[in-house]
Amino acid sequence: MIARRVAVGGFLGVMLAFSLAPLYWMLVVSLKGGKSQLISGNPWWPGVQFTLDNYARVLGDPHFGRLILNTAAVTLATIAISLVASVLAALGLAYYRQRFFNAIALTLFASYLLPQGVLFIPLAVMLSRLHLFGGMAALIIVYPTLVIPFGTWVLWTHFHRLPADLFDHARTEGAGALRVLWNVLLPLSWPAVAAVALFGVAVVFNDYLYTFTLVSGHENMTLMADVGSNLLDIDDPGPTFAEILLGLGPAAFTCALFADVYGKGLGTGVIEEPGGASQAFQRVPPPPGRVE
Amino acid sequence: MLSRARRPGFYIPAALPLPALLIVAGAIAYPLGLELWFSLSNAQVGEPGHFVGLANYVYLLRQPTYHDALRNTLVYTVASITIKAILGMALALAIAHRFPGRRLVYALLFLPFVFPTTMGTMAWYYLFSNVHGALNYILMQSKLVPNGVDWLGSFGPLPMASLITVNVWHGTGLFTVLLLAGLRSIPAETIDSARVDGATSSQRFLHIVVPLLQPALVLGAALSIMGSFGDFAIVHVLTNGGPANHTQTIPHMAFTVALRDGDVGVGGAAAFSLLPAYFLMLAYLLRTAVRR
Repeated sequence: MIARRVAVGGFLGVMLAFSLAPLYWMLVVSLKGGKSQLISGNPWWPGVQFTLDNYARVLGDPHFGRLILNTAAVTLATIAISLVASVLAALGLAYYRQRFFNAIALTLFASYLLPQGVLFIPLAVMLSRLHLFGGMAALIIVYPTLVIPFGTWVLWTHFHRLPADLFDHARTEGAGALRVLWNVLLPLSWPAVAAVALFGVAVVFNDYLYTFTLVSGHENMTLMADVGSNLLDIDDPGPTFAEILLGLGPAAFTCALFADVYGKGLGTGVIEEPGGASQAFQRVPPPPGRVE
Repeated sequence: MLSRARRPGFYIPAALPLPALLIVAGAIAYPLGLELWFSLSNAQVGEPGHFVGLANYVYLLRQPTYHDALRNTLVYTVASITIKAILGMALALAIAHRFPGRRLVYALLFLPFVFPTTMGTMAWYYLFSNVHGALNYILMQSKLVPNGVDWLGSFGPLPMASLITVNVWHGTGLFTVLLLAGLRSIPAETIDSARVDGATSSQRFLHIVVPLLQPALVLGAALSIMGSFGDFAIVHVLTNGGPANHTQTIPHMAFTVALRDGDVGVGGAAAFSLLPAYFLMLAYLLRTAVRR
């Protein structure tokens, strides 16, 4: 038993080291100065080269605040647009449990599976025809299209596991259908909604192709585009790494804390065994007499 | 009794999927059609081009570089998914039980997935560097190798192995999260009754747990192949397809041909040539996930 615990602990330790090594290394480099830091000294420890200059430089750069604001705006707009569209679509699709609507849901999901390499070139052409090329609007249009199909599918499969009674209730309410869907179904679905929001953050943070090519001009840059467009000073990446760790590190770590919710949200619809549906059934309150 | 269609409110839920459908049609269906046209034309950047039938596809099939890219894509995809699934499974089992600091460990293991891929890959680029690279530093300090290893620039399996390492670093967390959600959804009775029937723990794992985790594995595989999760950024930043096409993949080739060489037609054809494989994945995924 003890041997087994040691083995599990050792494995977790190795995997933690693997996960964190590049991030730790970035931190070390961001705390060092000078052009020679990459070719001499211990790359895993700041040592005598230690300095906070990179961080002072980033914080003193008025452009940095702009980058943070732009990144936050693009991320939040992406999440908001994606959530509204996906929740509405999934509610509508789940309301009608019919073949035709299942087909729409599957079409939406299928469109998510297209690799971005296929769509990238024509999207760039289309956006330039719409005179949206170069600005943040291009990103706010493109990112939700990467989130909505998958988000709709996650929420749709999630709603499908909720008891059919709820939907029957919504139907008998007539014009109140929307309110029933909104007030009863949505509160039962927050892990799925949170998972879709997290998925949106991951899409924005992991994108490279679109920020790199669709955005131009200093005032429109997001952190990702800025770092991408400099493709950093190859001899002294310290300032760039300081910018990333300061600007995106806290957000990424906060998202990582929600790993469980992510799994749970995707899980209810997609992964869980049919037994899970009966548990969901017990969580459902009795249908309210009248939803105001 | 009113017919269903005339009941007030019937049309409202039917209209709910419209925003999602409009966004998806505008930003996916239209560009997809445009891309199909590009792949059948001799369009260049800034020139509409004429219809040339399947000439672009024929041209690609005659290119040895295309065959290399096809093989590399297969190796890269299959190897990284297999490793991620195995490590993700081990991690999910290791953190399924409570222990002090579990939430932090879980978050740190998931962090590479939400940390911007481009930046993480840049860090790896320096770790793999053969000029005082941080990885070689460890190997040489511990006298494991006499001289630095050329991870990214040598001919042989090392560049591809490095690429797979970064992909595994980025994506293992996703598999862990999905598999943990899958593990938690398995009813305790299922495992208990197998134990009562005399199944050993490895039998229980192989014959009961693994089959029940199939949807989670399929979803993880689909998410890591498709959509927007970073395999383009990893190739582009780490090796740029080199040395001499040794790590060129189809999505990256499509990007290079269309945007660096300006040959939108051939690039489009390269991107489109992967669609049959994607549709096979899609069919399999839907069969597994929707069956229940």
